[in-house]
Amino acid sequence: MWGPMRPTAALPEPALTLDTSGLLCPIPIVKTAAAVKGLAEGEVVLVIATDPGIATDMPMWCKATRHEHLATFQEGGAWRSYVRKRGRVAARRPPEAA
Amino acid sequence: MKRPGKAIGMISGGLDSTLAAAMIRGQGIEVKAITFYTGFCITETQRRKGGRQDGTVPQNEALRAAADLEVDIEYVDISGGAYLDMLLAPKYGYGANANPCVDCRIFMMRKAKEIMEAEGADFIFTGEVLGQRPKSQRRDTLWVIEREAGLKGRLVRPLSAKLLTPSIPEQEGLLDRSRLGDISGRGRTRQIAMAREMGLLEWPQPAGGCCFLTDESFSKKFFHILGQREAAGLARRLEQHDVVLLTVGRHFRLSATSKLIVGRTEVENGVLETYAEGRARLVATIVAGPVALVEGQPTWEERQLAARIVARYGKGKDQPSVELEWRDADGAVETFSVAPEVDEARIEQLRI
Repeated sequence: MWGPMRPTAALPEPALTLDTSGLLCPIPIVKTAAAVKGLAEGEVVLVIATDPGIATDMPMWCKATRHEHLATFQEGGAWRSYVRKRGRVAARRPPEAA
Repeated sequence: MKRPGKAIGMISGGLDSTLAAAMIRGQGIEVKAITFYTGFCITETQRRKGGRQDGTVPQNEALRAAADLEVDIEYVDISGGAYLDMLLAPKYGYGANANPCVDCRIFMMRKAKEIMEAEGADFIFTGEVLGQRPKSQRRDTLWVIEREAGLKGRLVRPLSAKLLTPSIPEQEGLLDRSRLGDISGRGRTRQIAMAREMGLLEWPQPAGGCCFLTDESFSKKFFHILGQREAAGLARRLEQHDVVLLTVGRHFRLSATSKLIVGRTEVENGVLETYAEGRARLVATIVAGPVALVEGQPTWEERQLAARIVARYGKGKDQPSVELEWRDADGAVETFSVAPEVDEARIEQLRI
């Protein structure tokens, strides 16, 4: 089950803060994907969103795209999501069935 | 040894496209999933409004499927001008409602082709099943879509591939045709069995289509707004904000050139507030009530009618008079005291 993930440790300082407040899902994810392309490997983006869909979308997007999902949590009226860019690793190719 | 291949998969997260992705991955092909944002997805709209009527919140199935399969996914936003222009005059016509499914598929396939070329991929695949949909998945239509998108031989439908002409990746040995499917028709029994065999744990139930353009009620509003624009001497076209507003609230025809939209919930009221710029805003001032927007240039009588309808949907509906504030698009404010409309037959007659 996908859902919000609260930080268990101090969160890193983001290299980029992306405010998607007022934008409706899935546009926060579309904008996150574009923003992450401009980051160096290991850098962190903080995405601020008012659409609660980010709480489920961001962990799934990170798992699919292999970026590191650090936390997504609600603070005040907005959601804050921390993602660390991972380098483009070799695609996970399933072992070919016999 | 077979060379490694790469494919672009058009994934909705439904059972068929998830299976198609699993089948292609199962042949050792690297898969990049793409999913399209059109602005007409019913599930996305439900999510924005806080969930379904039963209280559950649908998840983004395309992201869920990509996460489960561990394939890279890209959201392709096509909700802007060129896609909206295509909807107005589809070459292959509409389905039962405002759904130009064939033209829509061609539009998406052309975008997918651009991504295929940019990614250096070998082919595109989809979860389409021969004969599953009456118009867009007939044998002849599947071929038209492939040809019009410029993808001749590079578009694979893994679930039905054995029933179709061998594609280039099959001819080149990149894909083993014997391990592709021969499914046709509307049933899901074979797909469900395959999903279990492949260990897929989760897939959404078919919800009667996820596109507002196939919805009869939405289509009435879609064609009405186009007619309204023409009647007002404006260009017959849609903008993205029109699409959002078509998915929100109760819509009433005030005249050939003006329309009233009344919020049904707090969430819808919030959406209407967001899109108030350029429109007249109408709300009750003393008692609680919905947010309403008016488009067009209504006469004084039509403003009064709009105010009575809005009063009818507020807490003052049983009062003899309700005060409402009318704020024009240019900021000019007027106050109306009106009796809530009680003639339900008239209200229904005005409903779009």
